[in-house]
Amino acid sequence: MSHTVERTRSIARERRKRTTAATVLSLPLILFAAVFVIYPLASGTLTAFQSSTLLNQANELNGVDNFVSLFRSDGFAKAAGFTIGFSAVVVAIEMVLGFGFALVMDRAFPGKKLFFTLLLLPIMVAPALLGIMFRLLLNGDIGALPALLESIGVSVSLFSPDSVIPLLVVLDVLQWTPFTFLIIYAGLQSFPKELLEASAMDGAGYVRSLTSVVVPVLKPVLFAAFFLRAIDAIRTFDVIYVLTAGGPGTSTTTLSIFIYKTAFEAGDFGKAAAAALVVLVCLVPFVPFIVRRISSTGMEGKK
Amino acid sequence: MSRKAMALGAMMMSAVLLAGCAAGSGGSGGDEGSGEGTVKLVAWPGPEGDAMTEVVDAYNAGQGEEDGIDIELTLLSRQDTFSKEAALMASKSSDVDIYFTASYNIGQFAPSLEPLTDIDTSAYFPVAAEGLTYEDELYALPLDVSNHFLLYRKDLIDALLSDPAAQAEYERISESVLGEARAPKDPNEWDLDDFTVAAAYFSQSENPASPTEYGTILQAKNLLYNTMIWNDVLWGYGGNWEEDGEAALTSDAAKKAVQLYADIYENEWTSPDSSQAEFPETQAALQSGDTAFAIQWSAAFAALNDPEQSPDVAGKIAIAPVPGGKTHVHALAVSLNKYSENKAAAKKFLSYLATADAMTQYAEAGGIPAVPEVLEAQTAINPAFEQVSQTIAENGFSEPVFPQTFQAYSKIAEDLSGAWVGQTDVDEALETANANLQELLG
Repeated sequence: MSHTVERTRSIARERRKRTTAATVLSLPLILFAAVFVIYPLASGTLTAFQSSTLLNQANELNGVDNFVSLFRSDGFAKAAGFTIGFSAVVVAIEMVLGFGFALVMDRAFPGKKLFFTLLLLPIMVAPALLGIMFRLLLNGDIGALPALLESIGVSVSLFSPDSVIPLLVVLDVLQWTPFTFLIIYAGLQSFPKELLEASAMDGAGYVRSLTSVVVPVLKPVLFAAFFLRAIDAIRTFDVIYVLTAGGPGTSTTTLSIFIYKTAFEAGDFGKAAAAALVVLVCLVPFVPFIVRRISSTGMEGKK
Repeated sequence: MSRKAMALGAMMMSAVLLAGCAAGSGGSGGDEGSGEGTVKLVAWPGPEGDAMTEVVDAYNAGQGEEDGIDIELTLLSRQDTFSKEAALMASKSSDVDIYFTASYNIGQFAPSLEPLTDIDTSAYFPVAAEGLTYEDELYALPLDVSNHFLLYRKDLIDALLSDPAAQAEYERISESVLGEARAPKDPNEWDLDDFTVAAAYFSQSENPASPTEYGTILQAKNLLYNTMIWNDVLWGYGGNWEEDGEAALTSDAAKKAVQLYADIYENEWTSPDSSQAEFPETQAALQSGDTAFAIQWSAAFAALNDPEQSPDVAGKIAIAPVPGGKTHVHALAVSLNKYSENKAAAKKFLSYLATADAMTQYAEAGGIPAVPEVLEAQTAINPAFEQVSQTIAENGFSEPVFPQTFQAYSKIAEDLSGAWVGQTDVDEALETANANLQELLG
């Protein structure tokens, strides 16, 4: 009896030790989250319910006025529409191209290292700098590309209202395809090659192996690439702001540009925080689904 | 595990979306300080920041040593200087003692600034000092003055005026564009109709024999500074933003002003790329020799006639008042942070900046001081100084100063930039702009 009591106490002591150790070890993360995540989130949420402008810095609570003002003006809805459409197009293209490049680079061929390096170059350039570079490079009067095209008899105006959105798509794809490529390529490196050998033994061709073996196994990796790129595309700001500042009119205004202009041009921090909060609330329901996908092994259906 | 990952994912996303949107609170209201020590000043890079750097260096090496003051100048990015300042003001920060401000944002920034009570503004352009006065208080010391000119290719205009065949062609184009056969004139005498006809004449879409591809370049990007240029056309047609506190952007003058932009754009008398053009693109168009003239900022003239920066056109560019006879004028300025902990020392430096010596140094270093006497004495440095002084005195206007002037510039650019390039209906765009302006006027 006394032996059992002693054993129970010992287990309890061990548990307390573990709990204490776990708490101590978690402290840095908790502190980090408190300072860099919880405080900005709480402060931003509070601001969304305050009248906080440069002209009125009393920061008085104003209920849902910021949200009412947000939904009364059509600027937010237009920005949301453009952002969703733009993100859907660029992420789809970048996923397909990234996957294609990853498959190509998964094979040995002469000059592979050079090609690999060149492929990664755009991602290393800061987006704002890329915008400025292209603003010069594509300028109709002094830009190298229009001059080159003109020398072969092709006259283009890349910044005209009809071509500016396709141009922004191309630039985004150019910069961010290396990102999806890199993630998918890393996934392919850890891909169990015996699966391909087995499918080949079963008579599967390249396309069949790709669709029935490679893609299902790589699903978590593909979702990770898709999720990270989608989040980033929804936040798109730099290149578009540098090239078009959201215009002509509001035709290329993304949500980030809308929020930025509301905060720093209109000086209405309350409304900007409300817009950010609405975006957050709209995105959060997708998180569990995406996290579940990323944490899956891709093989559950085969068990 | 998966719940934790979900929570972490949600929190990360929240942080990304909300960081930076939080306005801080607190702030002590500032302090006079000891009258000595370090004074922190911000400005934007470019000609004004470069000139200010030289003035600050000279002060630190001379008068500053006597005053016991060291000025620490930080150049922020040109695009985002005011955004960064807005963030500092929202948090009532004392990190900066002297802010870089301008006529167009003084109403918005005034609650975070200390009025300047001991400054004698009689030496400055009245329009510059008025633009920095809000509710009868001066909130900034004028530093640099900006206005617009018509910058044009003198060689091309001279050729036109001396060639009867070219003049006949010009009159034919004028008949087709305006419905009347106007003869070409010296650009110093142009009105906005002459501007339109000349834009057509120098465009290959209208005149295949034109020496330039485009007559002009419009600065039609959705940018608040482009509203300032469009305002020249609006004021030139006799319009204004408001009349007796009521928004007036549905006036005939406003319709004509937007229609002029749309006509020029749709007829390809400006590059199709000008829908995204601002100052640098306009410079590039003139420097390349593809464009005959443009309404451009005064600071552009020196670079266009510099053989190193503009080898193809240097010496060929001349300057004339904006057609229509009206030019927007704004002053870039320096203001005292209400929350500064060292106001006494900052005021000493502001007093130094108000002297003719400091402004002469500023002009010598490439700035355009808002002091007519200094400009007129320094024409050897920049031949445009004399015209800047004369034009501002005779043709300058400043837009109404109200708390949300800055937002009004941005909103007008946002509402009208589509119509400027024929993407949206002129009347519809003006109705929207007028309603938004009315809301901002209060």
